[in-house]
Amino acid sequence: MKASEEEIRKITFEAIEVLGANASPEAVKEAVRKKLEVESGETFTAKPGDTTSGRVILTSFGLNKPGIVAGVTKALSENNCDIQDLSQKIMGDFFTMIMIVDISASQKELKEIQTEMAKIGEELKIKIYLQHEDVFRFMHRI
Amino acid sequence: MPYEFEEILETIRMTEIEHFDIRTVTLGISLRDCHDRNLEVTKQKIYDKILRYGKNHVKFAKEVESQYGISIANKRVSLTPISIPFDAFRFEEYIEIAKILEKAAEEIEVDYIAGYSALVQKGMTNGERELIKSIPFALAETKRVCSSVNVASTKAGINMDAVLMMSDVIKLTAEKTKDKDSIGCAKLVVFANAVEDNPFVAGAFHGISEPEVVLNVGISGPGVVLDAIKEAGKVDLQQLSEVIKKTIFKITRAGELIGRKVADKNEIPFGIVDISLAPTPAEGDSIADILKAMGVEDVGAPGTTAALAMLNDAVKKAGLMASSSVGGLSGAFIPVSEDQGMISAVQAGHLSLEKLEAMTAVCSVGLDMIAIPGDTSSSTIAGVIADECAIGVINDKTTAVRIIPAYGKKVGEFVDYGGLLGKAPIMEVRTLSSEKFVGRGGKIPAPSRSLTN
Repeated sequence: MKASEEEIRKITFEAIEVLGANASPEAVKEAVRKKLEVESGETFTAKPGDTTSGRVILTSFGLNKPGIVAGVTKALSENNCDIQDLSQKIMGDFFTMIMIVDISASQKELKEIQTEMAKIGEELKIKIYLQHEDVFRFMHRI
Repeated sequence: MPYEFEEILETIRMTEIEHFDIRTVTLGISLRDCHDRNLEVTKQKIYDKILRYGKNHVKFAKEVESQYGISIANKRVSLTPISIPFDAFRFEEYIEIAKILEKAAEEIEVDYIAGYSALVQKGMTNGERELIKSIPFALAETKRVCSSVNVASTKAGINMDAVLMMSDVIKLTAEKTKDKDSIGCAKLVVFANAVEDNPFVAGAFHGISEPEVVLNVGISGPGVVLDAIKEAGKVDLQQLSEVIKKTIFKITRAGELIGRKVADKNEIPFGIVDISLAPTPAEGDSIADILKAMGVEDVGAPGTTAALAMLNDAVKKAGLMASSSVGGLSGAFIPVSEDQGMISAVQAGHLSLEKLEAMTAVCSVGLDMIAIPGDTSSSTIAGVIADECAIGVINDKTTAVRIIPAYGKKVGEFVDYGGLLGKAPIMEVRTLSSEKFVGRGGKIPAPSRSLTN
């Protein structure tokens, strides 16, 4: 608890005022304790970080077959994700595709999109990874 | 595209195939304001404070994990060495504190809570003596609490009285936890030149000059380095050093990013990145395999120490370039039980305790997770600790001993803890006596290099 003695006194007087005739010592104590808990709770609860903004890199690979690009892009557009860049290669029977996707307009969080894409990956029998762009920027750009 | 195809695939390969992970995000919390002369009040203060700062630690770490696709293997807490704020307490009270630490750790779901520690390189207060005596009992009654004691430093020399005391503590800890292969000893480290911001357990503690609360991150990835060395093929050692540095540079950058994000979410300051190649029992996640890929037939072959020295140095150099917040131990760890390659080398008779000792002179820590016969005398253990301290003190580096005199077990048997702690073959220890030497007690004076002013 961070509240000073003076603050606690102030809160106690407020509680007595609000409680009026009902102000038994127990009731006051309970009210003050609740108030302090709420306040210290506010002080230490971190704000949720801005996790959904920005771009992610989608990497997918597996055995080539019809419908992979369609499956992936359809799911992305349904989630309001904007494909900003796309690079795709076939190496032998192997399909690889890398996309830079802006998910800031999506109503879903990265985690939900990841789960959804993993499901689609399973259907298409390919691997799909979504990672925040920063990790690539930090590793490969100084 | 702003990134090359190969760059993206490299990152994916590191995170998905080569076991690159953030080994630990460790929340350091100061307990210096938690003392009260009433034990119950003290316990409540400790519990409240750990919960206040730590309640979202695991949750936030998991969020960052999925956001960046890099796994964070462990979420931990380190504390002010318990003997400092609670110096007025005695034996039983310290054990009570250990129990409340366990309870808090369980509540916030961290796997280890470290800092049941004392810094006694120059001498002991009464409280420190009591804490050290309580260690076997505290470790026997808890699962998550880790303990460390610093008994030597380059500035102060080696406190041989403390070394002797610690060897008895280690023996008793082994006995107290004999039902679980003396697991207590796996959570107890004896240090020379301990660092204040080490995020790795069991030796982590929140140093006396650290802020109120801080987030330190420990990065690992032997698998990534191993594959890079294999890929490099037949190149000379200078080029090989470059390969290691480039790889480490990249994973340090990624690690710092992750650490800062977890710290931001917790709204606490970011401390340091500790880039330490720490093996796990998983296949390919081995320092021994790296040394073998560098060219020695097996760990223990002549040349092993040189290979390890080069690896350790390359890791440090790359870490320093990649981040201005490099700290902790930063280098290569060579625990035996946690590294499949080390275990095989011991079993094959290629790696002895003496060779390991030489290797610790150039690696980042020391004799780590080594099981020895349960009937090893405490004076012999004291001799081993003193040797290791001497290496640290003279070379101005951190060294540590985490040794397990496995109760009731002999050479050829195993202790098996599962998980990250792995399984250790019991190693042979010389039975030549060091009793008269260590029994003299007192202190080994600080070396001439302590006078740098």
